[in-house]
Amino acid sequence: MRKAQTAQTLLRMDGICKAYAGVLALNHATLEARGGEAVAVMGANGAGKSTLMNILGGVVAADSGHITLDGKEIALRSPRQAAQQGFAFVHQELTMLPTLSVAENIFIDDPPRRGPFIRWVDMAHGAERLLARLGCAISPKTPVEQLGVGDRQLIEIARALRRDAKVIIFDEPTSSLTKPERLKLFDVIRGLKAEGTVVIYITHFLDEIFAICERVTVMRNGETVWSSPMSEVKPARVVQLMLGVSENEGRIRTPVEAVGEPLLSVKGLCREGDLNDIRFEIRRGEIVGLWGLLGSGRTELLHALVGLGPIDGGTIEWNGDDGRRELTPDQLRACVGLVTEDRRGEGVLLPLSVSDNVALPNLMSLLNNWRLVDRRRQNALADAMIERLSIKATDRDQVVSTLSGGNQQKVVFARWLAASPRLFLLDEPTRGLDVNAKTEILKRVVELAGHGCSVLLVSSELEDLMRVCDRYLIISRGRLVGALPGSADVDALMRSIATIVTEQEAVL
Amino acid sequence: MTSGKQMADFLLRRGFAVVFAIVFIFFSVATAHFFQVDNILNIFSAMDPLAITASGMALVVMTGRLDISVGSMAFLSCSIGALLIRDHGLNPVLGMLLVVGCGGLLGAINGFIVVVLRVNSLIATLSTMIAYRGMALALTDALLVELPAPIRFLGNAKLGPIPVNIPIMLAVLILVHLLQTKTSFGRQIMAIGNDVTVARKIGLPVDRTGFLSFVLSGALAAAGGVLTTIENGAVSPFLGDGLEFTALAVVVVGGVSLLGGRGSIFFGIIPGAFIFEMIRNGLTNLGADPYSYRLVGGAVIFAAMYADALKSGRYTLRSQS
Repeated sequence: MRKAQTAQTLLRMDGICKAYAGVLALNHATLEARGGEAVAVMGANGAGKSTLMNILGGVVAADSGHITLDGKEIALRSPRQAAQQGFAFVHQELTMLPTLSVAENIFIDDPPRRGPFIRWVDMAHGAERLLARLGCAISPKTPVEQLGVGDRQLIEIARALRRDAKVIIFDEPTSSLTKPERLKLFDVIRGLKAEGTVVIYITHFLDEIFAICERVTVMRNGETVWSSPMSEVKPARVVQLMLGVSENEGRIRTPVEAVGEPLLSVKGLCREGDLNDIRFEIRRGEIVGLWGLLGSGRTELLHALVGLGPIDGGTIEWNGDDGRRELTPDQLRACVGLVTEDRRGEGVLLPLSVSDNVALPNLMSLLNNWRLVDRRRQNALADAMIERLSIKATDRDQVVSTLSGGNQQKVVFARWLAASPRLFLLDEPTRGLDVNAKTEILKRVVELAGHGCSVLLVSSELEDLMRVCDRYLIISRGRLVGALPGSADVDALMRSIATIVTEQEAVL
Repeated sequence: MTSGKQMADFLLRRGFAVVFAIVFIFFSVATAHFFQVDNILNIFSAMDPLAITASGMALVVMTGRLDISVGSMAFLSCSIGALLIRDHGLNPVLGMLLVVGCGGLLGAINGFIVVVLRVNSLIATLSTMIAYRGMALALTDALLVELPAPIRFLGNAKLGPIPVNIPIMLAVLILVHLLQTKTSFGRQIMAIGNDVTVARKIGLPVDRTGFLSFVLSGALAAAGGVLTTIENGAVSPFLGDGLEFTALAVVVVGGVSLLGGRGSIFFGIIPGAFIFEMIRNGLTNLGADPYSYRLVGGAVIFAAMYADALKSGRYTLRSQS
């Protein structure tokens, strides 16, 4: 066991740059970690966390910059080399070999041998010892496929320990753990720190970093924007640093306080581990922002509402044109337009034309007397949509994959507009778009509300939400934890997700 | 759990054993000659080339790939060896080693195409299956290559009552079994079969192991070919014809998952090969139409695979609940 070497910088990354196809993913990023400490690496999507970690894991080579471990400059050219230098990765997706035993999973790359043969007895004892260090008593002979996620993660950590890792990187380790498993993991991490190991901890959950990390490094747009001991920073400040606030483009719509009957009221919607007693209402013509950090359950909530994810309980009441009734999520899906986070994967059919994409959800209304799709009607619909949303395509037959991101997103909108649903669920509709395209899309959203449609809008980019929303629902750890009026300012919104976090910390 | 469910569960778990037992008992009762020591030894002796070939193929299947060129590799390497022995007076013992080495080389070509050129293994070995057989037919003019009399005599060699090829087969299978269960290489094969990407992330020599599995498959297929050749005293143009599919059937019926990462050499391949040879032998004893063997063989593959599909379906349900 190594002696604890606190207060001494063990790992230092300096001036790390990395570009992918000319796009800068890391711009002189830095990271510093001390023995016996856990350093949290925080950042929004695309901030460069994963690139930085992949450089440490030897998966990606940096274009420039220095990495020193224990004062010596090191090169990390392959995962194997990184492992030899003492870096171990506990991936979000665990690297388990399910049909092999626990012991084999730990020792697979370098089992104890006599001649050509593996010494099973030594291997099993070794595995037992490593697992004991983690306070875990799984039999080394158990096939991993019989174990749960929590145990598998411990095995992954045991593998890192066996390689005598000096630096262990945890990439969102708690995302699929139950609460007891999470607490267990924290104990393990505390143990690792006591042994002098550097722990690099990547997560979106603020409460976790305040619970177990000593330092925090915040990244934004490929740069390290903050690095300090945990004690010198407040949760709200971390959120602010992570998200940054770019120049406000100005509101597109002044907040309107909607009155009248709710269009949708959701009560007690829940799913074990993901969603907790979700209760909210949306009125007609209202744009409601669902505001929370990544992993807070925003996407899960939208998916659960329309039956794309299972629910354990709760009621959905819909007050449509034909009166008030209770719907199942699958029934609700027929009433809403859903624009998903992953527009390439779920939203549009890339190899098909604009016309085909627009027609697809509306085929029943395009049938002729022979019950076949009427080409002329389809074309008319497509042309109308291209006109209405000002989609920049050469014509309706242009293949969607050749359109720009913003125009692809408009095609997704077009699909739903034609069906004219009363409610739109929009998950990150502006992701990856440039400023002009964002404004375009947000204007369409406002237009929808102008026509009396209701919108539930999710975005990681606060400034986008703040340009259109009439009010906000705050979500954290699968629970709606508050509401703010449309007039709320950046500070209030940032605090809203951060203060909750400290309350939860008390619970933890 | 009701007894009906328990029964169903048992049938699924032990599907192969149940089919095996039914077929065995049926032939024992239905024919007078089947259940006799001599005949059982006959079955064991006749299945040897198949079992050895299947054990090599199983190594490839355990990595999650396929090698359907085994029959052609056996044919081509035996043809080369037989021609050199007959026409150039090569020492038969050296000849056998040469044949096995030649099989390894042909397997290495498969390995190169799959691992380095990244061609899907089914397509790669389909093309070499056709090409190797074509080369062998050209070399032998599609004629029988007869071997000198002393070698033909070897085919009938016995240790007491036991044909000598049975202990050879058992020794080979035990070696392959030890290789698969007790060495790093064998465990890496299983690791790749579990998930190539994960194995690569862990830092295992994925490409080298995958390549070697093809080399071994080729060498063992050639070794199986040597046994057939000695038994027949000649290399016939039909050597190994259709062997790839029988061997693949033995592999899957023996419980080696086509998805890779699962299965046992000794305890899978031997019963697997035995059941196919037993069906052939039993039907012959019954005096059945020789073509009915294919029908029954097909039915056995189907039954074993269906039980497997049901079983894996159940396991998924269980892990979800």
